[in-house]
Amino acid sequence: MSNSTVNLLPLLIVIGVLVLFVVSGLRYKSREASDYGVTGRYTGRIGGGAAIASNWMSAASFLGMAGLLYLHGYFALAYVIGWTGGYVLLLVLMAGQIRRFGKYTAPDFVGDRYESGLARLISAVISIAISVIYCVAQFKGIGMVFGWLFGTGYLPGLLLGAAVVISYVVISGMLGVAKNQQLQYFVIIVSFIVPLMFMAHKLGYFWLLPQFGYGEAISDLSQEFNILFAAPFAGGSLFQWTALCFTLMVGTAGLPHVLSRFYIVPNIREARWSVVWGLFFIALIYWSAPAYAVFARLLEARAGIPFTLATAAPAADLVVITMAERGGLPGWVVGILAAGAVSAAFATVAGLLMTGAASFSHDIYYRLINPRASEARKMTIAKGTTLALAALVLAIAVKPAAMIAEITAVAFALAGNTIFPVFLLGIWWGRANRHGAIAGMLTGIVITFAAPLFGGAFPLVATLLPITSSALIGAPLVIAVIIVVSLCTPPPSVEIRRFLAEQVHGHLD
Amino acid sequence: MKHKHDAYDVNLFRPKKGYMRGEVVVILVVLFGWGAATFGFQWLIWLAAETPHGCSLLTRFSFFNLPFHFWFTGQLLPLWFIILCVIFNIYIDRLTEHHSRRRDRSYE
Repeated sequence: MSNSTVNLLPLLIVIGVLVLFVVSGLRYKSREASDYGVTGRYTGRIGGGAAIASNWMSAASFLGMAGLLYLHGYFALAYVIGWTGGYVLLLVLMAGQIRRFGKYTAPDFVGDRYESGLARLISAVISIAISVIYCVAQFKGIGMVFGWLFGTGYLPGLLLGAAVVISYVVISGMLGVAKNQQLQYFVIIVSFIVPLMFMAHKLGYFWLLPQFGYGEAISDLSQEFNILFAAPFAGGSLFQWTALCFTLMVGTAGLPHVLSRFYIVPNIREARWSVVWGLFFIALIYWSAPAYAVFARLLEARAGIPFTLATAAPAADLVVITMAERGGLPGWVVGILAAGAVSAAFATVAGLLMTGAASFSHDIYYRLINPRASEARKMTIAKGTTLALAALVLAIAVKPAAMIAEITAVAFALAGNTIFPVFLLGIWWGRANRHGAIAGMLTGIVITFAAPLFGGAFPLVATLLPITSSALIGAPLVIAVIIVVSLCTPPPSVEIRRFLAEQVHGHLD
Repeated sequence: MKHKHDAYDVNLFRPKKGYMRGEVVVILVVLFGWGAATFGFQWLIWLAAETPHGCSLLTRFSFFNLPFHFWFTGQLLPLWFIILCVIFNIYIDRLTEHHSRRRDRSYE
């Protein structure tokens, strides 16, 4: 829906929430400093879970997932499953072991495990690329929400939103605002669930638990309008569903900013249990997302608006907000939805730009270009890189190529084709060596971008390795490459194999 | 020398005795539950499909207000993942305590 007026009440609520984050972050910081040494930073398992969930929630979860469900129905549940099931892989295969490795970043792990500067460089470049792709999706969400808030449309909204998010990152950095992730999660969950309850109530469905209440709306859709929202293969084939779901799962277990939670946790037992809580908090949102999509389809069908993929797709990423507007919810309810979307996107952008910049300043500049750089010099480089990355992201986001969740999925495919295999074998197979890792990561990069690169000349490539879902075939292929190349070249040094056997896998024997 | 190197052999499918063996057993069990429920169920929908869109007994049968397959994928699977993580954590907690006690060392 395009309108040309400023949505004043929602705008004020969005500004209010952003100010709240900065102010509470400042209070959080001073409290932390005064409590230091008495209680430390102990937040417990539930608090840790809320931190994991708020770190995870982005515009892709808040806006993109409902948008794709709205377009593709059951098929898009692959996103719901992929982005929850990935945590199982992360927990059972990686969390405890990378903690026992004791590194700080993904490139650090790769560089030290495989004893290679080149492997470190490649994984740092991959980390930065993942941050950039992921941020492009966030910027698309920010652009659409700001375009809606100011009634200007996408491009002015993007420029305005980008200016606000970059100032937010810079001001937070200058003031040293600590991230209050528990508060952030609270804002996101309330702003996602409360409007949904309003909507379910208004439509006459079971509103106390709209996660179940929307079921009747699915049958109403098929009975009144013959819309097969739930048909399993209406949106994609079994192969497409499986490939997408698997890609998102291995990508989750290979995303540098998700892995980074586990490198230096003080207590791995607490960290493992906080994954359970984190997954629960994430699932609360994901159980609800289909309801937005179903209600949106129902409201449109009742208003007599015809639905075709081509006409619906451009606005689909904003469907969470437009549905609430179309449903006639009060302005303040729509406002808290917009505020939730903006906080999810802002927090993710802040985290990813900093991760990407740290990868450059620490893993590339400090480790490879200027090992004698002072801390102050590294900081300057990191700040400059943050702005450079933001500019790059903005330039790509001017013409977004796909839906928010689809752009994000490309970042997951890249992580699943490169970082995941290198970590998996690095932890679980002592014989994997630097040659294997380098060959594997390069293969993974080519596989990830095979569809746009070779898809035109070889349609089979585009069918087997879709840009959003290449890891079902890609990850096993990369693992095979690492194994074959490692076996053809000398084994890694005795030191690292001994460390792996005694410290990582034999710490209690 | 060869023998000494073998002592440092790390392989998911040939775990060393002790903690790692117990850990690998639970990892493989959890991964089986993860894969079978996620991909096995989609395969089942495909097998049961009666129309090109995949409608079948599984999709007509309603459960918790939702078509059964939609409920299974959209609501049960995320819950199942949480359950798998709980099972894994309880098992690893007990395994770690067992080995710590054997080594006479406090829990890490």
